[in-house]
Amino acid sequence: MPHEIWITAFFNDHFAGVASAILNAVGVHAENAARPWTNFVTMEILVALVLVVFTLILRPQLSYDKPGKMQQTFELIYEFLREQADEVVGHEGQKYVAFFGTLFLFILFSNLIGVIPGFESPTMFPAVPLGCAMATFLVYHVLGFRAQGAWGYIKHFGGPNVFIAPLMFPIEIISHLARPLSLTVRLYANMFAGEKVTLVFLSLVPVAIPSIFMGLHVFVSLLQAYIFTVLTMIYVGGAIAHEEH
Amino acid sequence: MNRKLSMLVLALTAFALPTFAQGTATTSSSGGGFVLSVAFAMAIASGLCGLAQGRAIGSSAEAIARNPGAGNVIRGSLILGLAFIESLALFTLVIVFAKG
Repeated sequence: MPHEIWITAFFNDHFAGVASAILNAVGVHAENAARPWTNFVTMEILVALVLVVFTLILRPQLSYDKPGKMQQTFELIYEFLREQADEVVGHEGQKYVAFFGTLFLFILFSNLIGVIPGFESPTMFPAVPLGCAMATFLVYHVLGFRAQGAWGYIKHFGGPNVFIAPLMFPIEIISHLARPLSLTVRLYANMFAGEKVTLVFLSLVPVAIPSIFMGLHVFVSLLQAYIFTVLTMIYVGGAIAHEEH
Repeated sequence: MNRKLSMLVLALTAFALPTFAQGTATTSSSGGGFVLSVAFAMAIASGLCGLAQGRAIGSSAEAIARNPGAGNVIRGSLILGLAFIESLALFTLVIVFAKG
């Protein structure tokens, strides 16, 4: 039974009924029926709230003539994402920067919040990266269907010509199914391993050495958020690409 | 000489057999055989990951030396590639924790 952090304890003490009602509505049973909130659910909610509060604070401060520091920071992030979308997806990528940005900021904040003592990265539990990967999977297929029509999109699974289509279809379907799996496991494994390595070194040398591994974990958090976003862009780009002759 | 050395190493792995005597000290899915295979799996994964990352770093260092102007782009590809290779070794670690 994983140790409950203080946020989860607070939620379990006061809002246990809400969680039980939601879980019963979808037919899922909590691991511990008396305390249904888990660490990663409360931390996810906290990260989403933090992001929303940041943007609510930022919105009234937006100014064309005199941008403040917060606006400039967010402009940096937005420019970075838009450049990447342009490079990877093509000129239609700019329409989807909202989705990529949300994914990037959510995963980034989720990864980084685990470094603060008293909080836990929600991405350290396999359910959260799975959620992000399923979102990506649904989004890129829906975008592909919308961009190329139902039959046009399915034809792309067949490969370059109709003769090797019976061979290409199973290969393509398996490789498309492997995508959310690899996205999930990559993010989950990196976060989980980063924490475990820090804990192992903490048990060996309690003083200065684990901070090196925490620093590595911070760098890996940034990198993995970026990799998840770039892979999403690649998949979206592959789905909406039109063959130019 | 090389063949004798590899025979010696293989014989030394016989020292690891007492792990089978561990029995059901831990949960039923992780007996002695599991521990041994997990150790080998992690060792092989990390070793091959190290080799692959070494090649990636070597090629990119050489590329930067030949063309210092493209240093930033090459460094970007290097970091991205290293992260992907690292993830492959971590997939093995996930199996270790997921299965026992």
